[in-house]
Amino acid sequence: MTLIKWSDEGGQVRLGLPSDLDLAMAQPLLEGLRAGFGASDTVVADAAAVERVSTACIQALLAAARHAAEHNRTFAILQPSEVLTEACEDLGLAPWLKQWSRA
Amino acid sequence: MEDLSRFKQTYFDESAELLAVAESGLLRLTPGEVDSDEVNAIFRAVHSIKGGGGAFGFTELVAFAHEFETVMDGVRNTSIPVTTELVDTLIRANDVLGQMLAYAREEAAAPPGTTDDTVAALRRHLAGGPAEAAAPEPAPTAQPAAYPDDEDDEAGIFGDAMVAISAAREAEEGTAGAAAPVPEGKLRWTITFRPKPDLLLSGNEPTFMLRALRRLGDATIDCDLRSLPPLQALEAELLYLSWTVTLIADPDVDQEKINDVFEFVADECDIRIAVEAPVPAVAAPPAVQTSTDPVPVSAAPPPVPAAAAKPPEAAKGEPAKPRANGGGGGGGEHAGLTSHTIRVDLDKIDRLVNMVGEMVITQAMIAEHVRDLPPGEFQELLEGLEQLAQHTRELRESVMSIRAQPVSSVFSRMPRLVRECAAATGKEVQLVTSGETTEVDKTVVENLVDPLTHMIRNSIDHGLEGPEERERIGKPRAGTVHLSAQHRSGRIVIEITDDGRGINRPKVLSKAIEKGLVQPGASLSDEEIDNLIFLPGFSTADQVSNLSGRGVGMDVVRRNISSLGGRIGVYSAPGEGSRFVLSLPLTLAVLDGMVISVGEERFVLPLTNIVESLRPKAADLHGLVGKCDVMMARGEYVRLVYLHQLFGIPKAVTDPTRALVVLVETEDGARLGLVVDEVLGQQQVVIKSLEANFRRLDGVAAATILGDGRVALILDVAGLREMSRHHDSGYSRPPDPGQAALPAALPSPALEPV
Repeated sequence: MTLIKWSDEGGQVRLGLPSDLDLAMAQPLLEGLRAGFGASDTVVADAAAVERVSTACIQALLAAARHAAEHNRTFAILQPSEVLTEACEDLGLAPWLKQWSRA
Repeated sequence: MEDLSRFKQTYFDESAELLAVAESGLLRLTPGEVDSDEVNAIFRAVHSIKGGGGAFGFTELVAFAHEFETVMDGVRNTSIPVTTELVDTLIRANDVLGQMLAYAREEAAAPPGTTDDTVAALRRHLAGGPAEAAAPEPAPTAQPAAYPDDEDDEAGIFGDAMVAISAAREAEEGTAGAAAPVPEGKLRWTITFRPKPDLLLSGNEPTFMLRALRRLGDATIDCDLRSLPPLQALEAELLYLSWTVTLIADPDVDQEKINDVFEFVADECDIRIAVEAPVPAVAAPPAVQTSTDPVPVSAAPPPVPAAAAKPPEAAKGEPAKPRANGGGGGGGEHAGLTSHTIRVDLDKIDRLVNMVGEMVITQAMIAEHVRDLPPGEFQELLEGLEQLAQHTRELRESVMSIRAQPVSSVFSRMPRLVRECAAATGKEVQLVTSGETTEVDKTVVENLVDPLTHMIRNSIDHGLEGPEERERIGKPRAGTVHLSAQHRSGRIVIEITDDGRGINRPKVLSKAIEKGLVQPGASLSDEEIDNLIFLPGFSTADQVSNLSGRGVGMDVVRRNISSLGGRIGVYSAPGEGSRFVLSLPLTLAVLDGMVISVGEERFVLPLTNIVESLRPKAADLHGLVGKCDVMMARGEYVRLVYLHQLFGIPKAVTDPTRALVVLVETEDGARLGLVVDEVLGQQQVVIKSLEANFRRLDGVAAATILGDGRVALILDVAGLREMSRHHDSGYSRPPDPGQAALPAALPSPALEPV
């Protein structure tokens, strides 16, 4: 899927998350994350533009974070938008987001 | 808190029944013989009272019930032998339990020491010691932290409202004890939300539900990630997370509000809801948890116990002398706990309905006989009979009201259906309901589910436009489906209205022609075209969808409604929407009918079918060659049906100009003229099933007994139409010179779709 912007910047993969991270975007996001870790040790997901988010997409990000922790990789969520932050609060994942996000 | 008091009432009512069950079981306990079924029944009764009491925070009651239950458990697993003394103790314990319930009902604390002696006696049996052991040691009214429990959830005993039996188990696991104390004046809810993996696929989003929970109070949400698979194994659209929400909320947040949050996902997740009240300042027992499993429709939360409950009136003067103390403990001790409702087997009510029906017949019979009495005489008898008639009518209405149920039980299922349909079709739909409290016979209510489901699906699938299309034509994005019920002239009228595109008449007509349901070139009125959708096998959906379009829609609906003695009509305005109107009898036990005679036979025609009766002139009658006779009535040609021919009745009036024609209308609006000898009068008749007593007959819906004791058949107008068609196909009546030939321009077949 083209909606997730992929860029390789100095050895780190940067995924630009789209504004609409609904259920249909979960699969592309998951594939993006898998491909990202396949290509680099460091994957960052830029979440500044996220205006709508589904639990399925947050779940994919959760799996990515755990993957990074277990395999000694680096993962970060860049500039999580207000919507993403609120959704994580609703899901009881505020501490998790805090741990994995970067301004 | 009105709901809470209702649930409490249910609890006390059912507890009274359970006490009676326990008592009768205890009285049958024979020393040395253990009937395990009997013992189990007693155990369950006590256990249920305890569990329900826990839900309301009746800590003293729960503590005592626990002692009682522990001994019963010992009896159950034969570790405590059944002796006469044990049975005495248990009967006394049952009485004390009844007292505790009475105190709880009065919202009063039991006087100190109420349970001491009995608890001591129970514990002696538990210790295996004989009764002559020591003097009764004072038993604490307060109990240890946990009430261990090895019984499966008995929630069913208290219905949806009463669950809470796994409370003790939860407490034992430490879920209750580990948490911080509940703030005064608040309740702590623990909601465990475990969605099924495919929850997201049905369009549900946990964030919305959890957000809604957060709005109810101070929520702490704990997400369980343990089931989350590794990144490589994750299925993107399946849900692996589950949540535990701890909610500190005001007492006005009840379980119903919490359940509402999960209303649409009830089948797609496992939800457990537990509640704790603050520990009362004076009572030592811990707050008791209740738990519901699986998603309850409704359950009662405990109240915040008053910190200092007022003592009951009786105990004021002599606090040291509890009411039931030692002694025999007579059976009347818990007489204060009387029930305000009783549950009655449906068969018994039906027998009652039946007997009232017989009485109505007898009363009609007497009325028939006194009609022949000389006028002016027997005045008192006549007045008495008049009163009897009135009382009979009231009695019948009262009995019918026992069987009546509000339609809300059906309506409440619809929001979910609407949501699912909306999700499946990608449409935005708002459901508005009104008149949910309208009552109708239980059988009617039960049989409404399928037709309403079909019709609402149809409205959403066929009627409503998609959000984009609606926006384009200036309608709000979300379509509205309005479901309403009301009583109207002795019937219940249910309407399903949508603000969609209305029936696509050209499409319906071309489909009907394509399917051979209507002859090409026939000219049909808008109303007739609309009614084509009720024909068997008719569906305009181009593609078979999950929702509708399988050709088993509206004809089934009409058949279901007809079988309930109801009618269905459709009104549609292009671009504005459709309205389906169901009219159903309030009861299936009696019917307003018109008694008619044919030859020496009497028949009953349901009043709802009758349009008018008239005596045609010869000029109004026409014979269709090789077919049937028709009559011109109010500018319309109507097929004549000779009842004497259909049923082979001799000595009937055969000439319509000397007989009467009763104009009747079937559910789909088609009209027939029934040729009868005489119309005898209107009468309310008691419906007797022909199938149950004899066998089904064509053209006959049921039977009844008339005032003179004769059995009369209640005619089924739609069935008569079918019969007359078959009958007319073998029609060989010679043309009657007295009847004018039918004008060639008659647009006949279109009037009555075959």
